[in-house]
Amino acid sequence: MGRYILRRLMWTVVVVIIVTLITFVIFYVLPSGDPALRFAGKEPTAQVLAQVRTDLGLNHSVAVQYLLYLKRLVLGDRYGWPGLGFSYSSGAAIAPQLWQRAQITIQLVLGAAVLWMVIGIPVGVFSALRPRSRFDRASLFVGLVFISTPVFWLGLLMLWLFSSTLGWLQGTGYVAFTTDPVQWAAHMLMPWITLSLAFAAIYARMVRSNMLDTLGEDYIRTARAKGLPERRIVTRHALRASLVPIVTLLAVDIATLVGGTVIVETVFNLQGLGSWVLNGALNQDLPVTLAVTLVATIAVSLLSLVADILYAYMDPRVRPE
Amino acid sequence: MSAPLLEIDDLTVHFPSAAGPVRAVDGLSLSLARGQTLGVVGESGSGKTVTFLAAMRLLERSRPEIHGRILLDGVDVLTLPAREMREVRGPRIGMIFQDPLSALHPLLRVGDQIAETVRAHRDVGRRDARAQSVAALAQVGIPNADERARQYPHQLSGGMRQRVMIAMALILEPDLLIADEPTTALDTTVEAQILDIIDDLRTRLGIGVVLVSHSLATVADVADTVAVMYAGRVVERGPCEAVFAHPSHPYTWGLLDTVPALGAERSRLVPIPGSPPSLIDPPPGCRFAPRCAYRFDACTRHLPELVERGGGHADACVLPVPGRGARRHRLAPSGEEAAP
Amino acid sequence: MKSRLTALGLGLCVGGAAVLLAACGSSSSSTSSGTRGGTYRVEATDFGFSNNFDPTGEYTTNAWGMYRGLLIRTLVGYKMIAGAAGNQLVPDLATSVPTATDGGLTWTFTLKSGVRYAPPVNRVITSHDIVTAFERIANPALAAQYGFYYTTIAGMDTYASGKAKTISGITTPNNQTVVFHLTTPTPDFLYRLSLPAAGPIPQEVSKCFTTPGGYGRDVVSSGPYMIQGSDKVNIASCSTIQPMAGFDPSSKLIMVRNPNYNPSTDSTSMRTALPNEFAFTINSNQADIFNRIKAGQADDSLNAPPASAVATLVASNQKQLIKTGGADATKYISMNLTQAPFDDIHVRKAVNLIMDKAGLQQANGGPLFGLIATHIVPDTMYNNDSAITGYNPYPSANNAGDLAAAQAQMRQSKYDPKQDGLCDTSACKNVFTIAVNTSQDLNEIPVVQSALAKLGITLNIRQLTPSAASGVVSTVSRNVPLALSQGFAKDYADPSTFMVLFESSSIAPTGNVNASLVGLTPALAQQLGVTIPKDDVIPSVDAQAAACGKIPTGNARTTCYINLDKYLMENVVPWVPYLSLNQVHMISPAVTMWDYDQSSDTTAYSHVAVNPAKQS
Repeated sequence: MGRYILRRLMWTVVVVIIVTLITFVIFYVLPSGDPALRFAGKEPTAQVLAQVRTDLGLNHSVAVQYLLYLKRLVLGDRYGWPGLGFSYSSGAAIAPQLWQRAQITIQLVLGAAVLWMVIGIPVGVFSALRPRSRFDRASLFVGLVFISTPVFWLGLLMLWLFSSTLGWLQGTGYVAFTTDPVQWAAHMLMPWITLSLAFAAIYARMVRSNMLDTLGEDYIRTARAKGLPERRIVTRHALRASLVPIVTLLAVDIATLVGGTVIVETVFNLQGLGSWVLNGALNQDLPVTLAVTLVATIAVSLLSLVADILYAYMDPRVRPE
Repeated sequence: MSAPLLEIDDLTVHFPSAAGPVRAVDGLSLSLARGQTLGVVGESGSGKTVTFLAAMRLLERSRPEIHGRILLDGVDVLTLPAREMREVRGPRIGMIFQDPLSALHPLLRVGDQIAETVRAHRDVGRRDARAQSVAALAQVGIPNADERARQYPHQLSGGMRQRVMIAMALILEPDLLIADEPTTALDTTVEAQILDIIDDLRTRLGIGVVLVSHSLATVADVADTVAVMYAGRVVERGPCEAVFAHPSHPYTWGLLDTVPALGAERSRLVPIPGSPPSLIDPPPGCRFAPRCAYRFDACTRHLPELVERGGGHADACVLPVPGRGARRHRLAPSGEEAAP
Repeated sequence: MKSRLTALGLGLCVGGAAVLLAACGSSSSSTSSGTRGGTYRVEATDFGFSNNFDPTGEYTTNAWGMYRGLLIRTLVGYKMIAGAAGNQLVPDLATSVPTATDGGLTWTFTLKSGVRYAPPVNRVITSHDIVTAFERIANPALAAQYGFYYTTIAGMDTYASGKAKTISGITTPNNQTVVFHLTTPTPDFLYRLSLPAAGPIPQEVSKCFTTPGGYGRDVVSSGPYMIQGSDKVNIASCSTIQPMAGFDPSSKLIMVRNPNYNPSTDSTSMRTALPNEFAFTINSNQADIFNRIKAGQADDSLNAPPASAVATLVASNQKQLIKTGGADATKYISMNLTQAPFDDIHVRKAVNLIMDKAGLQQANGGPLFGLIATHIVPDTMYNNDSAITGYNPYPSANNAGDLAAAQAQMRQSKYDPKQDGLCDTSACKNVFTIAVNTSQDLNEIPVVQSALAKLGITLNIRQLTPSAASGVVSTVSRNVPLALSQGFAKDYADPSTFMVLFESSSIAPTGNVNASLVGLTPALAQQLGVTIPKDDVIPSVDAQAAACGKIPTGNARTTCYINLDKYLMENVVPWVPYLSLNQVHMISPAVTMWDYDQSSDTTAYSHVAVNPAKQS
């Protein structure tokens, strides 16, 4: 197992290099003109442009810039380790902002993940135990509604309903957990719900179909033949087997969400990674774009490794002997 | 003889389907005495498995229509409330299935699977249950039982898995063991071992065993009584020796003919021509008639009942007895053809 | 502010009917008296700073409004009120507004005494602090984005190249006096000194920041407010200086009172300093910003309100919550004089005649958001001189376009061989056009397309983000024939700031602000790799602009620029100007006093007040 993990980690490094290289290429190939222009003011003189270019490191060729980037990433730069540089638009060092924003995004994603599992798994199980019942049909319909609803509309709807109209919940913005745990939860509740509803519906369907398959398996018949109580059969035997692919999918879904929460973050004014990279991309802020891409790539690679390890842990047939 | 352990009385099991009810079991009666082995033989679709799944009340998901009685020590299990039935499965009836790889939970250790049977029905602590499961594994002849108990089904050979199933079915020392084609998925040498274990446990624990198989040969060694099923009904039953020495139903003759014999002059297998009838709309009269070489018109007019021929041997055929000539096959335990 | 204009200040307003609310280029200000106290809360989707709030290079409207009203006092400044009066220079740090001596080459200023920096510096501001500001401007490493305004100060270049340790053209005979020596007379020099980069900077702090934008996290205030956390900054050495806690570029900028501010060195006509605190925060959900303002959870915004929000307020009889100010900015379509079919002046005139300016005004949200523009520089910058008000060289009924007149012009061009008033040749089909993809700029595209289609001109439109569009249009080698939704705002209230857009010296391979390439000479064209169409001479206004630039400020100068404007509109025709922009603000019911800062084109932060009881 150890060698397997090591090999996967090495592949992660390769993937990171490829992805950052692609990001670099896209940045320079897109027809946005000279990025230095963006930061040189309204009437840039040649001198100012040259200075800005040097300052941003744009005076080297693209290949050299890329290699310098890699070198600073690994060895650190004047702001510390890892060397992520500074944002072109704000001049501020990237690394501290990255941790800060990553925390917010991670809180958002993990909270939503907990919520969608808590909703999705029971709904899926009950639907599987009573297929084609009214509950099953209703959950399918409601699920389809949530999957089809655009996330931003759902977010705005939540704000309008719970914040403006009913006044139950606070509006947009973020309060740190350390500052006020209650307010933190109150502010995160709507973003969590908005993000999780579509996933809850998807996971409910997956659990339902996995459970239905599993319940038809021979070993369930054996368990019944042993006279085990039905509840134990459903949880320990059927659910346990059904959840194996779900848990591994969860790991990958969480990873891909790390860079994908842009809409929820914008609607609820959460300063996370998603809104940061959107602004960075629109403003030609290469270091920000690279930093978030890096984080997202590493997240996906590591979490899919975790998913595979989890799968091997949960299903002994898959373990590399 | 004392009251039978298991008595099935005119059982019918019909499954609803879009085309009409599928008559998987259509008027079946059997009985088994304690300490005996009943071999139930028939081809796929004969209803042999459905009969015993019905006995275990494991068919409920498909919502079949069941009539008749299945008495276990005089109690009709078909009418028991679900909670009580759960106490029958395991402590009173144990069942093992055809493919032990799919019949065992792939993600749980075999020792745990056995232990949970114990803990479901007895107030036993985890450690005790584990100890009991290890002992059970040793009893069915698994070496290094302690180590094996911690393994997963895919890590064991086919024969060992089936031993695990046997251990699991018998750990609570039920009165009846139903073995549904336990050796079909195993090779011949292992098959013999498994049958031996079952037989051994039967004597040791004094239980009744139902051994379901599609192969007469399998059943010949260990059965005390044999029942041959066709299209949801019993067509011949009786003491094992009697059925093999003097089979009296043309289907049974056909089955015996299809067994390849070693060192015989015949070089080709003789199959029974035709195929089993549809269970949705079976033909009137004897179900086997369309394939029977000896049929005549009376066969297609009335559905024959089992008729006793003496000594517990019965068959459901209207052929005049003297006409049933010349078959005198007898299979010795090793499967060689013995001299008539 | 070219790029900033389209990105901010106009925000996202969906084109819809908006009621005309005192949109005459002057503001509808309510200068009822306010009381001291409370926090003035401004929300925006983005600060949009161009140099991270470092005054040496920061070149955006939003920042200038904050500096002027709250943080940075300059030698001369403004009252920060609406209208032409708001563009008049008044003394701020200087005791009076001087006149030039020595044939316009020398400007002498006396500083008021007793003006102190805020914490952490605390000491009295001296003439040396002014010198520090200019040393930073001249320092190439700091990339002062409007440093070109100060090249007339003697010795700036020598200092910049490192050959001199001081700027010879700025002398400080004593702590209260600073003298500027120029290389050529510069009549609008006073305006240039009113820009925030020329404000005093304490060298003991600024010396620690050697890259562009670095000082922006630690701006030391000379005004009535300071960045929150200023007092906690340890300036013992460069390594101990931490960014001020109140400024986080991605989320907030909080300013609190400067304890060292002495109101007697200032005047309430310039600064009232009533709120206790100013809080600028980022809210990425634009609709939410205006909901919060309406609910009293915020007071103002850097973004313009969407037309729907404006309409709701009007309908519920609350139009006093909508404030406007003339933004001294023009929105225009720019045509490249070297690219067909715009290399023919008759085509350019025809485009001006056919353009549906009323439709474009509607696309931007209606008359509330701007008045129809008919020439280059907004009227207020000419002091509303009668010679220019009402000047409309390309009139049409209801400003919807005059097809007959346009076609008459087309017939005189070389692109109408059929003489049918339409552009017949292939040069008029699929003309490469850059457009901007913000929502109101997208609304403009169909209006332009249908107007030009009437002349037989079809467009191949490329929609880009504001910064990308600006980048492409300002790169000469891209040869962009037509650029939509362009905007330019004054840097200060002298028409010369607009005219720089037409000088040949402004043409550069990248970052070119003279997108029309007015004044392009064959030699310059060859250098840039641009082809001037055969037999064409690109008109130039260099001589006229230079002449106007020499005239001292006053009626004569104004008249000179008015004539130059008319010359451009009639004889060069580089643009189709269509909108003289307004800044629109929605304020909360808690705001008791509000005015418009004409000099910065923002809310006049020095003339606002709130009633905390009405805030939520």
